Amino acid sequence: MRHKSSVILVVFIAFLAAGPARAHHSPSAVFDMEKKFTMTGTLTKVDWFNPHIVVYLDAKKNDGSVENWKFESNPPSWFRRVALAREDFAKAIGQTVTVEGVPAKSGVLYGYLLKITFPDGNSLELVFKGPTN
Amino acid sequence: MTHRLVFVFAAALMFTGFAAADKKDSVATSKVPRVADGHPDLNGIWAYAIDLPPVTLKKEINGAVSTTDIDQRAAKPAQGPVAGARPSTPAPSYKPEFREKVKNLFDNESKTDEVFYCGKPGVPRIGPPRRIIQLPGEMVFLYEDVSGDPYRIIPTDGRTHRKGANPSYYGDSVAHWEEDTLVVDVTNFVENGWFGEGGYFHTDAMHVVERLWRNGENLVWQATVDDPKVLAAPWTIPPRLITPSNDPLEESPPCVEDDGHRLLNSDHHQQR
Repeated sequence: MRHKSSVILVVFIAFLAAGPARAHHSPSAVFDMEKKFTMTGTLTKVDWFNPHIVVYLDAKKNDGSVENWKFESNPPSWFRRVALAREDFAKAIGQTVTVEGVPAKSGVLYGYLLKITFPDGNSLELVFKGPTN
Repeated sequence: MTHRLVFVFAAALMFTGFAAADKKDSVATSKVPRVADGHPDLNGIWAYAIDLPPVTLKKEINGAVSTTDIDQRAAKPAQGPVAGARPSTPAPSYKPEFREKVKNLFDNESKTDEVFYCGKPGVPRIGPPRRIIQLPGEMVFLYEDVSGDPYRIIPTDGRTHRKGANPSYYGDSVAHWEEDTLVVDVTNFVENGWFGEGGYFHTDAMHVVERLWRNGENLVWQATVDDPKVLAAPWTIPPRLITPSNDPLEESPPCVEDDGHRLLNSDHHQQR
């Protein structure tokens, strides 16, 4: 699936967390759902895995050092059923993207992907609606 | 080319209502498609159900915003009775001495459930097949699952269960027709898995009977679980109604669960 180069914002409003085809932990077990943050960096990798796809981001800090972040999202089969494939993310590997997410409570450089905006202006977003368990 | 998102809605619906059990176990329809031997035609691709909670998709294209509610769950609230379904209950009844164990397993599911960690769901937890290939003397059930894509080859030629076979998550199956219902008898399970998401552990004595029949263009799947070592009575799962699909099976990506070591509480979803 290819997006045309016009601006397309696709927003997924999820009532609860992503998960595999069966039971899975709630995002509140891992992530601080109240601490939304935005980060810009270079998309370096996309793992199209179950139970979560994972996108990798190298974000440059003010001091010039680079932090290697990972963000997880819904499973591949969920994206497939909304006509999105790995290529819709992987097309931006090596390019600058902006990610909105919530961080892991443990403090590691890991987050839950809420929104990703690509260089062409297209974006994909999950908006939680209601309690996350 | 106009960008267009195509949504394939999970179309497996769970009905908690039921029709009174029909002695003949068949659907009252005169339009059941049949194969050459006269049995109902169960061939086909059946809709995928991802078991995620409902989602609303909000789409903005060139400033125009639209929202679409997406519900890909396999389990949905009852929409009405399903003809031919057996009486069912939402949950099994364990013997009193095991109820605390079931509750503890469920409360800590994100740590105790193998399926959370890419484990096989097994029968009956995997639910209905995604694709059925119906051959003389056997049925082939194909599945898509996070843990991998299992298959089952189920004899319908009258043979009995294999002797001396190794126990497995998907068990040993043989099937026969009762009127227009395919009845699959499954035994010889490993004890590791759960037969349902609510902490429903079982022993090697578990015995499952699946029933599949056509309901118009749709497929109905319903299972009964018995484990006399731990259950107070057999449990009949509410039936699932599955619509046909043009969505071909696709190899599931590898399952790599990496959140287990980051869990700071036991919050989890019950999705089915």
